[in-house]
Amino acid sequence: MCQYQKSRHGNILFIILILICFSFIIGRFTSLVILIKKFVYYISYPNISTANFIFRSAGNFAGNIRTIVSMHQENIAYKQKNQELGDKLRNYDAMSKEYDDLSKLLKLTKIKNTASVFARISVRTPNEWYQWFIIDKGEADGLYNEIPVVMLNKENDTLCVVGRIIETYKTSSKVALITNSICVLPVKVKGKDINCLAEGVNSNLLKITYIPQEADIKCGDEIVVSELSGVFQQDMPVGIITNILEEQSTDFKTATANTFFEKDTLYKAIVLVSEAEKK
Amino acid sequence: MKKIISYFFLYIVFCLLQFFCGKYININGIFPNFILIIIVYLGLSRGVVDAELMGFLFGLTWDVFSTDIFGLRAVIFTIIGYLSGKIYKGFDKDKIISQFVIVFFANIIYWVCFSLIYFILSDDRSNSLSIAGLSGSIKIIITVLVAPVVFYILDRIGRYI
Repeated sequence: MCQYQKSRHGNILFIILILICFSFIIGRFTSLVILIKKFVYYISYPNISTANFIFRSAGNFAGNIRTIVSMHQENIAYKQKNQELGDKLRNYDAMSKEYDDLSKLLKLTKIKNTASVFARISVRTPNEWYQWFIIDKGEADGLYNEIPVVMLNKENDTLCVVGRIIETYKTSSKVALITNSICVLPVKVKGKDINCLAEGVNSNLLKITYIPQEADIKCGDEIVVSELSGVFQQDMPVGIITNILEEQSTDFKTATANTFFEKDTLYKAIVLVSEAEKK
Repeated sequence: MKKIISYFFLYIVFCLLQFFCGKYININGIFPNFILIIIVYLGLSRGVVDAELMGFLFGLTWDVFSTDIFGLRAVIFTIIGYLSGKIYKGFDKDKIISQFVIVFFANIIYWVCFSLIYFILSDDRSNSLSIAGLSGSIKIIITVLVAPVVFYILDRIGRYI
């Protein structure tokens, strides 16, 4: 009986000790133990290498603490920012509702909000490089015919005119570039209020026509979308005049313009969809 | 009380022997594992509880003095103490052949557990294989050969304690 109890105690003690050992192993106390050991060693026998080790280890530990504290502070700052943005959003919602109510009361024309649909160019044939391309977004993404396609000009960080959707399918759309000969875009010379037309000629340049003979334009003038355009937003950059062709016999002169959109590195495009129509 | 003092004395002596005498009495840098021998001895002569407790203490002390994974040797020596305590009736510890066999198997358990835990937990896994390599096998042989001498000395001391 005594022997049995002794054996039982032995087994229980064994399990306890093994659990303690495994808690040491899992707890990964090695670096801590080494640090304490080195510290004790340094107290009893001070030398430079031990001191260096202790400070390095303590430095790592302090670094970790510092990281935790800075992350905590960042977290607090983000929470405050989140709170501020939440308040702003609530204000915006209230103002938007107020705007809707006032528009209804005063019977004002509402400004259309546009949503941006980011699309990747999936097909662009080399022999029709300046005419059209196909994007990977279609009806399923709320796209439809005759809506503007733009891209971000990396040089001046503005959206510039690329073309318009001419055919829409379930998951893809065909976009006609403004350099396509089927496209004619009402434009004006920026800052001079000279209205004219930008015609595509299936090349990398645009033909700017119907410029009044007396109009003061020169190479380098910027061409933007005029208010007559029903597709694109007013004052959206189109291109820059590169050459002016003087024709004495007519009332108008013609110019050529280089487009703002990057023709050779056009991989992504943004389709501007009116939010009301998208719904 | 007498038992505690005697164990404390053994603990101090074997710690000094294992951790501080190694650089003076080694064979090509290889030094027998005296702590393993005393744990096996305690298991065979005093039973499970004493052996596993001393194994745990010795292992923990060795872990403190080494730079390996903390708790690694404590767990191995506790297991060895427990197993040797469990078989203490099946072997005659006074026979040299029994001492050889038990210490040999204790050594095998030590190196297998050591390599296995090291392989699982250490970042440098290639090191665990080299641990159980040539130096490990030579150390086993030396420990096995030294075991009867240590057993004899411990038996002699045991008569006076």
